Amino acid sequence: MLKYVGKRLIQGLLLLALFLALLYLLLEAQPGDITQQLIANPQLPPEAQTMLRERLGLDQPLLGRTFNYVVNFFQGDLGLSFTQYPNTVGQLILERLPRTITLFLTATLLSYYLGFSLGKIMAWKRGRSFETALTLGGVAGYTVFYPWFAILMLWLFGFALNWFPLGKFIDVQEWTGAAVTANQLFIQLLVTAFIASFAVLAIHIVSRRLSSEDLGGRVRSIGTPLVIVAYVLFWWFNPNRVLVGDLLHHTALPVITLSMVNFAGVMLLTRSSMLETLREDYILTARAKGLSERSIRDDHAARNALLPVVTSLVLALSFVIGGGILTEGIFSWPGLGQMLLNATLLEDLPLATGTLGIIGILALTGHIIADVVYMYLDPRIRTSQ
Amino acid sequence: MTQKGRPLLEVDGLVMRYQTKKGEVSAIENVSFTLHQGESLGLVGESGCGKTSIAMSLMGLAADNARYHAGQIRLDGENLLALDENAMRKRRWKSISMVFQGAMNSWNPVYKVGDQIREAIDLHFNPRLSEAASKDRMVRLFEMVGLNPTMLGRYPHEFSGGMRQRAVIAMALSCDPKLIIADEPTTALDVIVQDQILKELKKIQDQLGMSLIYISHDIAVIAEVTDTIGVMYAGKLVEYGSTLEVFQRPRHPYAYLLLSSTPSITGPRRKLAPLEGEPPNLLDPPTGCRFHPRCPFATDKCVVDEPPLEDLGGGHKVACWHWDKVPVTIGASA
Amino acid sequence: MADILTAPPVQPGEAPESILQEPLWKIRLRLTRRSIAANWKLFVSHKIGLIGLGVIGVFAVMAISHPILMSTVWDPAVYHPVTGYHAVKVDKLVVDVVNDPTTEVDLTTAQIQSNPFIEVGDTLSIPQQPAPPSLGVRAGIDRNGVEVSASHILGTDPLGRDVLSQLLYSTRAAFFLGMIAAVVTVFIATAIGSISAYFGGWIDTVLMRFADLILLVPLLPVLIVVSALFQISLPLLGLLIGLLGGFGGTAIILKSQALQVSVKPFIDAARIAGGGHAHLIFRHIVPNVLPLSFLYMMFTVTDAIALEATLSFLGLLSIPMSWGIMINVAQSQGYFLSGTDYWWLLIPAGLAVSLLAASFFLVGRAMDEVVNPRLRQR
Repeated sequence: MLKYVGKRLIQGLLLLALFLALLYLLLEAQPGDITQQLIANPQLPPEAQTMLRERLGLDQPLLGRTFNYVVNFFQGDLGLSFTQYPNTVGQLILERLPRTITLFLTATLLSYYLGFSLGKIMAWKRGRSFETALTLGGVAGYTVFYPWFAILMLWLFGFALNWFPLGKFIDVQEWTGAAVTANQLFIQLLVTAFIASFAVLAIHIVSRRLSSEDLGGRVRSIGTPLVIVAYVLFWWFNPNRVLVGDLLHHTALPVITLSMVNFAGVMLLTRSSMLETLREDYILTARAKGLSERSIRDDHAARNALLPVVTSLVLALSFVIGGGILTEGIFSWPGLGQMLLNATLLEDLPLATGTLGIIGILALTGHIIADVVYMYLDPRIRTSQ
Repeated sequence: MTQKGRPLLEVDGLVMRYQTKKGEVSAIENVSFTLHQGESLGLVGESGCGKTSIAMSLMGLAADNARYHAGQIRLDGENLLALDENAMRKRRWKSISMVFQGAMNSWNPVYKVGDQIREAIDLHFNPRLSEAASKDRMVRLFEMVGLNPTMLGRYPHEFSGGMRQRAVIAMALSCDPKLIIADEPTTALDVIVQDQILKELKKIQDQLGMSLIYISHDIAVIAEVTDTIGVMYAGKLVEYGSTLEVFQRPRHPYAYLLLSSTPSITGPRRKLAPLEGEPPNLLDPPTGCRFHPRCPFATDKCVVDEPPLEDLGGGHKVACWHWDKVPVTIGASA
Repeated sequence: MADILTAPPVQPGEAPESILQEPLWKIRLRLTRRSIAANWKLFVSHKIGLIGLGVIGVFAVMAISHPILMSTVWDPAVYHPVTGYHAVKVDKLVVDVVNDPTTEVDLTTAQIQSNPFIEVGDTLSIPQQPAPPSLGVRAGIDRNGVEVSASHILGTDPLGRDVLSQLLYSTRAAFFLGMIAAVVTVFIATAIGSISAYFGGWIDTVLMRFADLILLVPLLPVLIVVSALFQISLPLLGLLIGLLGGFGGTAIILKSQALQVSVKPFIDAARIAGGGHAHLIFRHIVPNVLPLSFLYMMFTVTDAIALEATLSFLGLLSIPMSWGIMINVAQSQGYFLSGTDYWWLLIPAGLAVSLLAASFFLVGRAMDEVVNPRLRQR
């Protein structure tokens, strides 16, 4: 299994290098080279021009320059931002990366969890009016023009109902005089959430190793809520409770909106995958064994229907990322997507391409994770490695 | 049919039809038979003759559009058709288990074979077997069907076709059922493996003294494992009797033609008589005797009147007006 | 394999001409007709496909109606989707304190807008934008300041342009874009898929790794950055979407389909009969891959419409008018959260994008049931 993961990682790195090289070639191909403007400045003496040329690596052939760019990127040198000088692109990205990862991850997990749960029930209750309604809703959600949908969501929940704030990351009034910055608190929130999920994971792994299945089940059913309660209590009695609440309040609507659209696709896919699985012979065997409906549906049918759904994550990544960028833009939620949009509109090329490169890495990581999860879920692949 | 135990399964005047958009499809028409403990019955017929529908009805797993119009299925005197889904679920695998057609795909690909067997054991033993006891049981089952018990920890895709089939039989035996239904269990296997598995099945059945219903389109295979044969045509039982009787002296023209179209290796050389025509359309079955359009002995009476299942003596029953015209086949043995 | 638009491969070389009683083209035509009829029957048995087709039909009528309306009843000076202008005039009462902004105007504003001598109690005709929908005749001024009357069934946008005219004009643009993207995708994907499956070896490896890369890269951010580097017009966008779509997922799917075809006996037969590479690929493999590629064409159209609208919404494309631009204008002019008050600014355009994309998607789903061998066997 580790060998397989390693192989995928190396493949991924190669793909990434190729992607960055193509990205650089794209920069070179654009009309009106920005570096040329710097160098061709008549006020610069010829020696300075040569020096600049060397420093930018412009005296090298195209292949060398491309190689340079890729190497620099891997070393974390993404250049300087034109518009936010003297910040480096790396600094700007690093500040926003955790937020965007949080948005993508929460929305993906939420939409896959809900979409899968509903999709399997839909297939199970095939032919009911509830299934038809959900299918229609699913198609609508899947094909709706996303920015428009997001605007309508913002209008409905932010403006008309006034449940959520109208975009942005924080409410500045609440934060005046606060001892922590929003970013610090956000990171704290993430780190604690990470620790909590790690604890839940540990409980699950340990309880599965226990000799008695009953005891394991009890450990799980007590341990998991305990961790969640502890997590909530920790933040409830935190001095920055109000500020954390403000952060979450601002994050909720973007996450919900992005999840809703992804959820529709996952639901439709789960439904058709599940319908195919239900026709399999082993479902008949499971029935003949006298298993309960719930066990047939969840343990046998849904477990197999999950496989194509996980595969689809690879394709859905592009969808999630595109949707995430638009969400950040529309909700003025300052993540990588919003930065990419702003950088593009202001023609801040180093920032835009650097952000795109990082988004590419995110996509690649998601891709590899989906592959590994698939391998873990499908013994036919796992045991052949 | 030498030593008869008490009647285990009684199917009595069963009528089942499928409700479809185009109309009612007659799947089982007035079928009755009795199976005693330790006895084995073979059901033979073309595909679509209702054999699988009977198996599914016995398991209570007939498709959603199946409707029972008459009759009873009694297991140990209890009418299974009257049970609700919950009660029926408790009988499945515990009282009647099944080896499926295309057992190659009977295994869920994502779970270990042992875990899939354990699932049935955990469900049906009351009080629940301890982990060690169920493990022990599975090991014995695997040894019984000629598999290495270490294979219990393997996934289905790591088994060959024949091994998977053996494991399916082990799973069918896992809860000590009184009756096993085997629906074309060896069709997808090559002939040698098929033969091994048949012998294995027969041996185990004798050893454990349970009853068996073996369903196949291949009458030669059936003759190898069963005491009694029921020949089905278009949803009806047209001939029923001891395997020896039916095999040597088929009285129904359809059974006769089925046997004549099967070559015999050990018996004398003879001309194979092909069975001509298409199986009937069950949306609109033929009047009178359902076999009459394809029957070489059919007369006007056959078109109008339905022949009853008549006892010729010794438990050999046939539903044909002209059973006495059917030639006597000699020496066709398996 | 069922074909939608091509007959099963009947080749001149395979049967001696002498035994054919009628010309080959007649047989082909008949087979084609029969196969189309059979597939159509399958297609119409799925209601969703018919609904989708119906909606596409409605949009097609809309697209055609725009040039006709412009040349007959609509005055270009008022109704042109980009340059037309019509300020609807509304009579408002000049007051000290405004209670109802739709019928009243405060004195200061009135003095700035008309003359300093206007007084409280006077009535002032004020140009109003965006104007609400109206069927009747409304007086207003066009961009030359000439008094005209006109009706705007869907109102005007914040710049005084007729929303219906923009909507119809954009329909044409959407079809145009979808068509380019779809044709390019089908062309590329069929070529890549067939070549990759037919030749195999390193050609296959290189092409498929490349397809993996394209599939991996999220399309929207790439297009966003590309739009910062280059001016993207509508045909160019269609070309880009077609290229990226065709090289990526669609090529991989069509390759696996072509692979299934290329091992069929009739390929060997044709090869033994002396068919060259080009002949084998174009006469045998491609016709069998085409139905599936037409299916993916539908999904490409869905993607293309949504992508164009998204990029236009972000203001990144250099095209005159589209549904995305309509939403962009409404948003950038501050009607972002207009909701139900100015519904005609956001709802028609957004609904149009969603509906047209959905209907192509539905047609694709229904076609899937017809041409996808896996689903068909049920």
